[in-house]
Amino acid sequence: MSVLAPPEAPPRTGTRTRRREDTRLLCGEGEYLGDVQRPDLKHVAILRSPLAHARIRDVDVSGAMTLPGVIGVFTGAELAVETGEFSHHLPMIPTLRQITWSVLATDKVRFVGEPVAAVVADSRYIAEDALELIEVDYEELPAVSDAEAGLEAEAPLLYEDWGDNVFLYMPGAHGDVEAAFANADGVLQERFTHHRISGLPMEGHGALGEFDPASGRLEMYVSTQVPHTLRTVISDITGLSEARVRVVAPDMGGGFGNKAHFMREEVLVAVLAMRVRHPVVWQQDRTENLLSGLHSREQSHEVEVAYRDDGRVLGLRADFVVDVGSPELYILGCAPAIVTTSVVPNCYDLADYAFEMRCVATNKCPMGGYRGYGQPQGIFLMERVLDLVGERLGIDPVTMRRLNMIPDEPRPYVTATGAVLDTGSFGEQLTELLEAAGYDAACEAREVARSQGRLVGVGIAQMVEPTAPNIHALAGRFGGYEMAMLTVQPDGRVNVAVGTKSQGQGHETIFAKVAAEVLGISPDDVEVTDGDTAALPYGTGTWGSRSAVMGGGAVIKAARQVRDKMAAIAAGMLEAPPDQIETADGFFRLGEAAIPFGQIAAAAYLHTFLLPPGMDPGLSVVVGYDPGNTSPFPDERGKLNVAATYSTAAAAAVVEVTEATGVVTVHDLTIVHDCGTVIDNVILDGQIHGAVAQAVGQTFFEEICYDENGQPQTSTLLDYMIPTFGDAVRPRIVHRETPSELLGGFRGAGEGAIIVTPAVLAAAVHDAVAPLGVAITQSNLSPPRLRALLRGRPAG
Amino acid sequence: MTAVRFSLNGEAAEVDVEPRELLLDTLRDRLAMRGAHAGCEQGACGACTVHLDGSGVRSCLLFTVQVGGAEVRTIEGVGSPGALHPIQQALSEHHGLQCGFCTPGMVLTALELFETDPHPTRERIEEWMSGNLCRCTGYVNIVAALEAVAGEGS
Repeated sequence: MSVLAPPEAPPRTGTRTRRREDTRLLCGEGEYLGDVQRPDLKHVAILRSPLAHARIRDVDVSGAMTLPGVIGVFTGAELAVETGEFSHHLPMIPTLRQITWSVLATDKVRFVGEPVAAVVADSRYIAEDALELIEVDYEELPAVSDAEAGLEAEAPLLYEDWGDNVFLYMPGAHGDVEAAFANADGVLQERFTHHRISGLPMEGHGALGEFDPASGRLEMYVSTQVPHTLRTVISDITGLSEARVRVVAPDMGGGFGNKAHFMREEVLVAVLAMRVRHPVVWQQDRTENLLSGLHSREQSHEVEVAYRDDGRVLGLRADFVVDVGSPELYILGCAPAIVTTSVVPNCYDLADYAFEMRCVATNKCPMGGYRGYGQPQGIFLMERVLDLVGERLGIDPVTMRRLNMIPDEPRPYVTATGAVLDTGSFGEQLTELLEAAGYDAACEAREVARSQGRLVGVGIAQMVEPTAPNIHALAGRFGGYEMAMLTVQPDGRVNVAVGTKSQGQGHETIFAKVAAEVLGISPDDVEVTDGDTAALPYGTGTWGSRSAVMGGGAVIKAARQVRDKMAAIAAGMLEAPPDQIETADGFFRLGEAAIPFGQIAAAAYLHTFLLPPGMDPGLSVVVGYDPGNTSPFPDERGKLNVAATYSTAAAAAVVEVTEATGVVTVHDLTIVHDCGTVIDNVILDGQIHGAVAQAVGQTFFEEICYDENGQPQTSTLLDYMIPTFGDAVRPRIVHRETPSELLGGFRGAGEGAIIVTPAVLAAAVHDAVAPLGVAITQSNLSPPRLRALLRGRPAG
Repeated sequence: MTAVRFSLNGEAAEVDVEPRELLLDTLRDRLAMRGAHAGCEQGACGACTVHLDGSGVRSCLLFTVQVGGAEVRTIEGVGSPGALHPIQQALSEHHGLQCGFCTPGMVLTALELFETDPHPTRERIEEWMSGNLCRCTGYVNIVAALEAVAGEGS
């Protein structure tokens, strides 16, 4: 038996490899949805409501039908005849209004941009021409332009049969809040507001569908984070068996949670493909994206906080009012707000917490998920509360946090809302932050600046984040597990298929590293496929900071199974027990003897007489991976451990406010971040850079605006401003690595920085303007909003 | 329909288009140059950037009939998988791309800068690039990559 020289040791996790996605993307050879080619491809354009609220009396498509190049024109009423409906699949929530809806509006439109009719034509140009020839007779109705207005007694009703506009009413009570308030030395009352923004992936939504009548099979290409679960939804609504539907998510130009919902248009494309018998494609343009591609974050919080004069927060009551826009969205738009309510205790020992939440339907774009998913608002609440109580009592922010922090023991620690925290030490993390940020020096520098009349502020904030969550309670199904398929081919090269879907996070690179480490080979020998329902039975997609944790865990589980089988083959060939076989550097070894990885692979397929007696040929497994520590539903006390594991972060910021303009300059931002075992430092830091930029955008730049009639005011990138070069904040990043107890030791990584950064920026801006007597209680600190605050400040 | 002849990445191209057809659509749909991306179709994001006679333009804001006789250069004419341009190489080495949708536009905008100023400062890079939007990277590593190119430029 020849023993070849071992190859170089494979990179360990935590080290840097060049991303294998890069070359094609750099050369313009990526395949995004708009690049997918099909012979005879037809183009879909969608007529959208110009009114915020109206009854549809009639849709006349006769003029559009006669335009040369038009294949078909479809109304909601027509498609509803043979097409199923969407629902939220949550009959188990009695206080949620149960609604169903169609791929196109049928009787009523409820926001500007709601799809009303669709044209299929030879080109997008012709399809858009045809839209202008469709005549819709609307009976305009008064609009509900925000949640507060929607709650008024005489408010127009989006759904007359509801009797009001409350889509979801949700109360919750943990501990004994009455006793906490009875024992308090003081009570803080405050109102926090969060403005409406958009995740704004650079590539909007889109779908391409091709139906083969002979086989009855439908193939869909969709820019989606959730291809497998979308297949289930397409099956629900088209009536096609899932065995006859394939969904492929090609390269994606971002997603950020906006593409983790099931869009009406995606299923519309499937329905149209079946009707017109041509492949059809719809690509959302930017105005469609800003009108109807999902918005996020808009909430207001009325809070009462019971505290003791020593700085201990005893209890908290919150009244959440959430503007969910039109509720016709699956997964439901209340989902992030439900998360908000659950994360309020944050990393603090707050047992007595009660809330009420009303999610109000309004005549605006559906609210949906965006990176952070309700957590930035909940963390903002608790972090602001600590600073504001501390300010009253003359206790500094660091001391306030140490006084109220969850202690290091026990782990796991169960929070008021049922989260089973498996984190490291919050106290040590805070200490590390203060050192990394040079906190004491920054505070001294602030005093010097203040003495010079400058508005410089220093802030800190912390967060604990549920990652790899179970979506069952919010979607009525799907859970939180993941699947992976791993095949060692006869030549020793490896295929891995995962049920997660990269939108830019480098999954082809990281999952190759994860598999290669278990198999003891080079990542260069591993090919990764994601986003294809034909490659893997099922998957739950990429959202909730779950891909490394669940996808990585599934890959490790699959790789271990295959490795163990290969070790058994090697053991047979070396006439030794399998447990004495070691796997490393591309070899299976027993002492000095070594068999190359590829030779075992060949034996499994090509020389099966070498296999131990009774062993099946082949080296391929499909695994499901579920750590089993999450719950599908809250228990009878309303407690729910939603996440497989928890990540943590602490941040410090130094900012300067220019009083005349309201412009905030971020001088320094430090983030201490613990997402367990790090797979790739550079990719991880890139995630944090991007999340920080989005947090900077939402705090200082971005705002989706509507007028009082529900007419959008921000429908292009010329009026919805996101940060560009020069607005970049370069965070100083420190990684703590507290491994989780899950496979690989991973915790989620993609969202922590966008959760903690809005809170730390608000804290720092508050500190900067505090000498002027202004308190920061809102997420929107754009120059005009901040100027208004500064000019409206109380005298003196 | 109007016949339009121009140079595309150094080779002759001829298309028959409606006067209203956008250069971006002609490049993508008729000439299979799909590296230019439609990010906003309003000239705001820069994902559709190509060079017209050596200068960066928004191909979503130009009609194809406007480029007759001109030299058009797209990302496909900058580098190839086997021979990345130094800007492309630097972006990969510094992790200056994530989803990659904005990346071809970034490369072409940066290319024009380096062709006129091989050693730009960070401030000049940020000012020059500010018409190209990225939602993934926070710009940190794009700037790092371009600073590296600036440091090595001849």
